[in-house]
Amino acid sequence: MSAATLELAVDKFLFRFPADLFYSEAGVWVGFEGPRARIGLSDFVQQRNGDVAFAEPKEAGTRVRRGEETAVVETIKVNLSIASPVAGRVVEVNGDLPASPELVNQDPYGKGWLAVIEVEDEAAARAGLRTAEEYLALARAQAEAEVLR
Amino acid sequence: MSGGRRKVPVVPCSGIGKSLGAAAREAAYVLAEDLRPDRTRIVALSLLVMGDEEARRGVAGGAAVAIDGCKLECAAKGLACSGAAHVHKIAVFDVVRGHRGLKPEGVCDLNEDGLKLARATAEEAAKAVDELAREDGHA
Amino acid sequence: MPDLPKRKVGLISCSGEELAEGTVTRRAVRKVLETLRPGDTVTLCLPLFLAGGEGERAFARHYPTIAVDGCDKRCAALATKKYSAKPAASVVVTEVAEASGRGAIGTARRLNEEGLRLADAVAGRIAEETDRLLKRKPGSAGPASGRGAR
Repeated sequence: MSAATLELAVDKFLFRFPADLFYSEAGVWVGFEGPRARIGLSDFVQQRNGDVAFAEPKEAGTRVRRGEETAVVETIKVNLSIASPVAGRVVEVNGDLPASPELVNQDPYGKGWLAVIEVEDEAAARAGLRTAEEYLALARAQAEAEVLR
Repeated sequence: MSGGRRKVPVVPCSGIGKSLGAAAREAAYVLAEDLRPDRTRIVALSLLVMGDEEARRGVAGGAAVAIDGCKLECAAKGLACSGAAHVHKIAVFDVVRGHRGLKPEGVCDLNEDGLKLARATAEEAAKAVDELAREDGHA
Repeated sequence: MPDLPKRKVGLISCSGEELAEGTVTRRAVRKVLETLRPGDTVTLCLPLFLAGGEGERAFARHYPTIAVDGCDKRCAALATKKYSAKPAASVVVTEVAEASGRGAIGTARRLNEEGLRLADAVAGRIAEETDRLLKRKPGSAGPASGRGAR
């Protein structure tokens, strides 16, 4: 990771959030690449939900609205419906995931990306996302609430 | 030893944080006590890594089976550092992928899905043990 | 070093698979984590610790730990000392069993009733050590809270 990375330590767990990415409240990261957005699961989400056994993004060509399911991730603990953080059209999915779903856990911001979406309205997309600092605060609150439950 | 034949050491990770670690541990017991009691014996990972002489003598220079809960492969790494000549890796995680829908729970007491997963993992490990026996000429 | 939050105690059990006492350590540690001192304790995974797990080793460097071993080979205590820092306390199941005059406790795969009672006794001992390390009065657990860690 070339940019700075924010870190959150909770007990023995260390969660990382690259500062040059944006995040939905549900913990999907977004990296804008011109008119496109590469998405994946944040380190916080992947650590909380366990080892990924299957990661299945919608196929290329699928149109998604913001908040609409864009991938299904099945871990050993739960089945997650991943809501798209942006509106647009899926143009590429990570072809390594069928054989190596553990990439989502091992390298969530790199080789574990889920899909690339051609964004309909970049300004609107950015407005609906959080910065790394904002998402870290959310993650901290969630982590602390879980410990106290 | 059974008829002079070396028993294959089986090393589970026994990770305490996840149910997959518990499934790895249970799989080792299913293998060593139910499926292949004459051909396998369990060796504690912690003894191996901490350099226990007796444990290391038992694995040095021969084949062994590592049963790991997840892709971190703690048991396989421990065995490799302990002098085993050939480590056959069994990953509970890969067995999960072959049995979609299983949701193992529990660390001390596995739920039904966890026990099914352990059994399936042990059966995979048993195949590895049988293969090793064939290679040794003890089919 | 990131922010160090609330002080907690790390529990590291040997989980030795060859002896029933190893299974006792595992059950005892989980009981403390889930029931007796939730929110005050964290389990550290010994296999991951041995394999170089950064989270486990870092925690053990900065927070007090209790090593829980099945026998006097003390793998958990020795590993913690070797790779992080000497544990603040050490509990050995065979010593607890001897002190309470217990009989056969079952097998490594399945503890019998006596083994389950021994696990509870060991869990109680760990909880006392936790209170001591957190400087609490005996018998006064912290506020009711949820699971410490996976």
